[in-house]
Amino acid sequence: MIFDPLLDLFRGKAVTIPPMDGAFRPNTQIDDAPLAGRLAAPDNLVELDGRLLASSGNAVVSIAMHGGPQTVSTFDAPVTALAVSPDGELAVALETGRLYLDGRELELPSALACITAIAFAPDSSLYAANGSAERRPREWAADLMLKGESGSLWARAPWSGVWREIASGLAFPFGIFLDGAGAVVSESWRHRLVRIESSGGRSTILDRLPGYPSRLSPASGGGAWLSLFAPRNRLVEFVLQEDAYRADMLAEVPPDCWIAPALSSRRSFLEPLQCGAIKTMGVHKPWSPTRSYGMVVRLDRGMRPLYSLHSRADGTRHGICSVLEHGGRLVAASKGGDCLVAIDLATAGGVN
Amino acid sequence: MEAVVRLERITKAYRGVPALKNVDFELRKGEIHALLGENGAGKSTLTKIIAGAVEATSGTMYRNGRPVSYKSPNEALKAGIAMVFQETSLVPSMTVAQNLYLGSERFLNRLRGITISAQQFLQSLNFPVDPTAVVETLGAAKRQMVEIARAVHHNAEVIIFDEPTAALTPEEKRHFFALMRRLKAGGVSIVFISHALEEALLISDRITVLRDGELVSTGETAGYDRDAIIAAMVGRKLSAELYRRRGSGQVRQPGRKVLSVQDISMGKIVRNNSFSVFEGQITGVFGLNGSGRTETFKIVSGIYKRDFLRGGAIELNDRPVRYLVPREAVKDGIVYVTEDRKTEGIFETMSIAENLFAGLLAGGHGRNWIVGMRQMQAFARNWIDRLAIRAINDNARVVELSGGNQQKVVIGKGLVEQPRIVIFDEPTRGVDVGAIAEIHQIINRLADEGLAVVVISSYLPEVMNLSDRILVCRQGRIVEEFSPAGATEEKIMYAAVH
Repeated sequence: MIFDPLLDLFRGKAVTIPPMDGAFRPNTQIDDAPLAGRLAAPDNLVELDGRLLASSGNAVVSIAMHGGPQTVSTFDAPVTALAVSPDGELAVALETGRLYLDGRELELPSALACITAIAFAPDSSLYAANGSAERRPREWAADLMLKGESGSLWARAPWSGVWREIASGLAFPFGIFLDGAGAVVSESWRHRLVRIESSGGRSTILDRLPGYPSRLSPASGGGAWLSLFAPRNRLVEFVLQEDAYRADMLAEVPPDCWIAPALSSRRSFLEPLQCGAIKTMGVHKPWSPTRSYGMVVRLDRGMRPLYSLHSRADGTRHGICSVLEHGGRLVAASKGGDCLVAIDLATAGGVN
Repeated sequence: MEAVVRLERITKAYRGVPALKNVDFELRKGEIHALLGENGAGKSTLTKIIAGAVEATSGTMYRNGRPVSYKSPNEALKAGIAMVFQETSLVPSMTVAQNLYLGSERFLNRLRGITISAQQFLQSLNFPVDPTAVVETLGAAKRQMVEIARAVHHNAEVIIFDEPTAALTPEEKRHFFALMRRLKAGGVSIVFISHALEEALLISDRITVLRDGELVSTGETAGYDRDAIIAAMVGRKLSAELYRRRGSGQVRQPGRKVLSVQDISMGKIVRNNSFSVFEGQITGVFGLNGSGRTETFKIVSGIYKRDFLRGGAIELNDRPVRYLVPREAVKDGIVYVTEDRKTEGIFETMSIAENLFAGLLAGGHGRNWIVGMRQMQAFARNWIDRLAIRAINDNARVVELSGGNQQKVVIGKGLVEQPRIVIFDEPTRGVDVGAIAEIHQIINRLADEGLAVVVISSYLPEVMNLSDRILVCRQGRIVEEFSPAGATEEKIMYAAVH
């Protein structure tokens, strides 16, 4: 209707959440998948010399599919991102804003202090997603509540070691995928993937995701895997519109009890949305409103979604921050569920 | 055992088309008699004759051995026969208590007294319904409970339940079955119509199966099993094919997303409903009455309006739309084929050609101010052939057609507008078995031609047979999506009621 833009001034623009159907149709594949290992808050997954490595707290651990995790190295702060260079060097980013390459600390510009994801280009250029210019990675919920858009993308030239800011003004970039045409970055608070060229030009390639996107990893046969670490929720969207309420909540309520997305939920009776987790006759409804969720999306070469894997509201393998193809299976790190799960690639898209 | 009601060679014809043909039926004292058959088999007609809502064309009805003929439901009620109709017959603007006492009021009534006595009565039946609640505020299940309570309240000797459990949750069903057993123990005879065969096998003493208006089989429940009932109900090969389960190979793959509904709300009926519709696919929508499925699609097609504030968004081909009138939706290629064809779908006293042409005018496609009859009839002839509408001639009034052919006219009225999205609401309600197959063919053809098709139905086999994806609606929102291969009646019903 032609009057809609005018009427929107009075009624407010509709803030809606895209439905989880089509390629995002819910299933229980992540909850049904066999466990690959128990690990406290596994975050980022990489493969080094055929071994699967995961970051967990202050440590980088090696995961054997039929054995317990073995610590590879420990640091003095939580590890926030991992990457492996074409030469087989492991890059490790820390919560404190430091970055190590094969054990050597790299010099970083002062603005690059919230590294959420790193990736190497084939020419060994190192790309780093800086989630926020004002907050640290663990303060991601505060960044969302304050509608942060101070994130940036940086690249380090391999020969000179000089860092260059490629793009700024990003709303919490949380994943990097490098293909021939540039860097694809997941922008969590804008629920989208953007392609950023080395010249700084950017274009949106996948918009209106039903959750907050995090890391990307390459998929066999072309395309990528995208993990979404939390679902979008009407209550959270509402709170994001209510500035005064949000300011009071941030000032007075402990962060765990904020009305904000979470990596896991239902662990404390104090947390919000307990009533949203609808139970009937003792059964927790899988479609009930939830703060946490587990979702992995298979993207084709054009970054269009093909199908998705889910751990729904009644599941526990929530807060998937990273996935990686390893040994013919897709390994997903459930940060909220404190575990790694291995999904059979041959049957992954079968139920969609 | 003595028969409290006996029907002999009962025939009922609507405009010459027989709905019942020489049916014999016997209801014994203190028995639960399940009456089974497909949609359009004549179950409702038979029970309506017993309850005085419909008069038989020929045949005799005996009540306690004496021939009777009731002219109205009230007359039947006075004779001890009460019926709980499929469509509830409560007064929406009155309270539950007032509805319970409707028709049995005294000269002076004390509202508080009625409420207290209604409260006690509902509690005795284990029905959790507030007697002071206004009926229009109640959900489908609670209305059904009030309807059942009203029948029991009249102390009837014969109670007819027409699909009483369709809207009830498993918990409520258990209460209802306990109630039926209590009534039976008190000597009440019950006729029980249900599509759930397990329920009939569980609760009934005897079973009668009708097919296409004829008595197929009757006998003690112990002599039946599920397969035997289905064989008696379905009979013809055509019917067996109608509700066949689809394999995964027969499911159409989704095309482009044409319609995206996001968080739309309308009062308490539609609540944050979100879903998408894709081209080249049939999206089936199942839900119980009152689940908001019809209202949701009426909002999509501009008949109802979503909430002004925080009403959500509808995107058609990635373009936000908000229709003031259905005509705008029709122009955008959205057509809604109504569930209530008599009041919303057709002009009964106009001809088929006039009805079809009216559909063309609704979309603004007819540009001429004056249209020749010959031109209109040529246009209609084309659609009558395409949809295989059977009538004496093209000038036949729609009221003279059978239910199936009327439905085809309604569908034709929508299709002449050359839509891109067709929404069918209960496309085969009140339609005979043969026409059901033809309507299903039309729907499948539309999806094969690349249109986005939505089929809303409360009949599970229809949804499971037609749909390429099945959405389940509950309390104003889509709660679950199933693929035809992964869906079972139990899973769908569980999602719909829980």
